[in-house]
Amino acid sequence: MAPKEGVLSQQSQEKEWSADEKPVKIDKWDGSAVKNALDDAAKKVLTDGYGYVESYRLVDGRLGICTVAVAFAAFALLWDYLHPFPQSKPVLIVCVCSYFLLMGVLTVYTTYKEKGIFMVALDKDKAGVDPDNEWTLSSTLKRYESDYTLQISYYDGQSRQSRSLETTHCVADFIDENGQICMDLFEPEVKKMHVSLSSEKKSK
Amino acid sequence: MGMLDSLDFLDDVRRMNKRQLYYQVLNFAMIVSSALMIWKGLMVVTGSESPIVVVLSGSMEPAFYRGDLLFLTNNRDEPIRVGEIVVFKVEGREIPIVHRVLKVHEKEDGTVKFLTKGDNNSVDDRGLYAPGQLWLHKKDVVGRARGFLPYVGYATILMNDHPQVKYAILACLGLFVLIHRE
Repeated sequence: MAPKEGVLSQQSQEKEWSADEKPVKIDKWDGSAVKNALDDAAKKVLTDGYGYVESYRLVDGRLGICTVAVAFAAFALLWDYLHPFPQSKPVLIVCVCSYFLLMGVLTVYTTYKEKGIFMVALDKDKAGVDPDNEWTLSSTLKRYESDYTLQISYYDGQSRQSRSLETTHCVADFIDENGQICMDLFEPEVKKMHVSLSSEKKSK
Repeated sequence: MGMLDSLDFLDDVRRMNKRQLYYQVLNFAMIVSSALMIWKGLMVVTGSESPIVVVLSGSMEPAFYRGDLLFLTNNRDEPIRVGEIVVFKVEGREIPIVHRVLKVHEKEDGTVKFLTKGDNNSVDDRGLYAPGQLWLHKKDVVGRARGFLPYVGYATILMNDHPQVKYAILACLGLFVLIHRE
């Protein structure tokens, strides 16, 4: 009955963060699933642990571009259906050009603006007077490789300074044999970065 | 518990928030849209409403065999000449036909009527046209063959003959894209 005990102890450790959810279990050989799970876990530490508010600005920008692109395609399809081909040509030209242009914009947006950032968290000023402090999380996990790099940047709304920290770990440090995310190992790592970033602030 | 275990593959989806779910749907829509826009773009460039077709019958052997992929263009200003291979639609038939032009009549005002025949057929196409129709006109032309790729179209023929296979493949792909997070 040893395995059962293991499960139980793990569940109790995770209670802090996910009292009502079952522990996150993933296919550990699936690189993108591993990255997503660790990203989600890091998010959780900042939102549930520190009570920061997630800002969806970056994500919404990407969703907006995609939505407009799909709308162009849908419109082209509808217009071509209502006005069969030779008549629909000018509309099709506009839609096709806009669509591929938007795909280009999307590529530029994700590579230069999002740059692997999966979360922007706002540390709201309690009094609501000063500008918010901003925490930005980004990560990389190269295909077929096991090193997960987490980067946390901190932007101080008051002093307008930003600094960042980076840490690279093998994913095996945070994921057990069964593909379960070990929050008890990952969480301190994130917290450590958080502490050193925010203490730098005080020392200055 | 057994029920829940079997749904484990949906966990990735279950953990997503609203934005991630929407992005997942958008992602699927963009794959479909990209294919659609490439097709429509080809339509605009070639001027043909169906720039790529698959040969479904042996009526043009030995020029084209079943399963050949044809590339079409349809420049309306270019005159149609005897010997060209055209793809045309006939009223009442869903699938366009690929045959060679046999006779052309041109009037000074630019109107054209022409007759076609399959290389491998013993008679011309009047029996295939709509009842009472003796000639084809420019509006019936979908495009003219400009190039071909042998055998590639067999996948299409297989899917046409067995629609279940097509729907099964589409459903699997769609489901995979929707539940698999990037």
